[in-house]
Amino acid sequence: MKDSCSSVSRLLEKYFDQEATSKERALVEAHLAGCPACQDALKWMGHCRDSLKVPIETALQKEDFERSWQNIRREIQIREKSSWRESIQSWLELSGLFRKKVWVPAVAVAAILVLLTTQVFFEEASFVALPDVEYVDSSYNVMVYPIERGKITVIWLFEGQEMEAPPS
Amino acid sequence: MNQDENELIFRCQKGDQDALKEIYDRYHDKVYRIAYGVVRHREESLDIVQEVFIKLFRSIGNFKGKSKFYTYLYRMAMNTAIDHSRKMYRVFSSSLDEEGAPQPSEMAEKGPDRILLHKELEEKVKAALDELPPDQKMAILFREVEGLSYREMAESMGCSIGTVMSRLHYGRKKIQELLRKYVKEEGRE
Amino acid sequence: MRRIPLVLPLGLILVLLFASTAPTQMNVRLRVIQASNIGRAVDPSLRDLHGQMGSLFNFTSYRLFRQDDLSLYPGLPTSIQVRPGRYIEVTLVQEYREGAEVRIRVILEGKDILNAMVRLSPGRTVLIGGPRHAGWVTIFALSPARY
Repeated sequence: MKDSCSSVSRLLEKYFDQEATSKERALVEAHLAGCPACQDALKWMGHCRDSLKVPIETALQKEDFERSWQNIRREIQIREKSSWRESIQSWLELSGLFRKKVWVPAVAVAAILVLLTTQVFFEEASFVALPDVEYVDSSYNVMVYPIERGKITVIWLFEGQEMEAPPS
Repeated sequence: MNQDENELIFRCQKGDQDALKEIYDRYHDKVYRIAYGVVRHREESLDIVQEVFIKLFRSIGNFKGKSKFYTYLYRMAMNTAIDHSRKMYRVFSSSLDEEGAPQPSEMAEKGPDRILLHKELEEKVKAALDELPPDQKMAILFREVEGLSYREMAESMGCSIGTVMSRLHYGRKKIQELLRKYVKEEGRE
Repeated sequence: MRRIPLVLPLGLILVLLFASTAPTQMNVRLRVIQASNIGRAVDPSLRDLHGQMGSLFNFTSYRLFRQDDLSLYPGLPTSIQVRPGRYIEVTLVQEYREGAEVRIRVILEGKDILNAMVRLSPGRTVLIGGPRHAGWVTIFALSPARY
């Protein structure tokens, strides 16, 4: 029984946590039927769990989470207001510098407009030109068939040397 | 990841507070359980819940979907609760009038001795939990209180399943040793 | 007050810039098809694909196992279970005017059997099939949806 206890004790927690495989479960249950020590160990695991859980559930029932939510909402709004105020303030302080060099904001606006136009143009040109599959990574053999006629791209996984689906 | 949760996360990332409220409704009790498991104090647990959801709203833009949302939230809740417990110093009183005391209907068949034993046992378990290193405490709370699977715990804790099992094992061993010692000393077994 | 005129047009341009490039959601249609050489039945809802699949593959039977219209949000994976232990996970990576980049993972028993980055554009379909399993093959058909 002692040898059996030491081999089962490793599985006892898995069994208690319902993480044991069916084979492990059968082994533990067969052992438990005739081992008071392991039955006691299992019982203690249950005591510990209950001692942890019960006070938490009791406290949970008593809380007013709607009021808690109102506090969260209020706090978020306070923080948002102060961050808006700070960013406008810092912008206004900064724009004092711009007054001395009027061309700086004009250049900034022009640069943004150029960036916006270029990005839109580049995006369209680049997207249309590229194939449908950018990369493929697989533990199987892979074939990629672009079929323009049907506007379909096929990614095919297969085992071994032989292709499962020859292209048309 | 389910569709409507993705939509909530997306909206929250855009600053939609109604989406945050829906996330709060789904998860506030889970966050509370973790918080209370660590600090064992109602007011502080509520403070932690509030702090977690405020933090979440500010940082949800960093959530990239690499892990499941609830493991991300659980990790945030646990770290916030542990940080909170380090900062605060509290004195426990073992009055039977305190929150967490068993309800009379639950203990109908037990006399004052058994009620005291129950309450003291809970405090012993809490004291034992406080002695555990943070990673073992986290494992115990995720498993015993939240009922996460080993895989979910591994994702929440950023470690392997083997490490999860090891932390659980040593955490439980420590708690049980203290409990058995207490019961033996008090001659109440 | 002289500062405000500088702020307004710049702010407007910045808003336009970010609005045009800000990621939004994308709707896709995912069809899970079971193909085999048992019988000659072709699911009526697969007519749009059957013509192509018939010329591409050697199967005689195509059954629509499930169809899902998915809303994809940037960076947030959506998983569909095909059978216990087998999933397809789709993530919107980047949306463009003409379509989107989407990451696709096919997971079997906890392991990635496929990890691909594809571009979906209107009118085009990506089919992912194989390997064979017990005499039939699962084919995923992914295309942008308009609904």
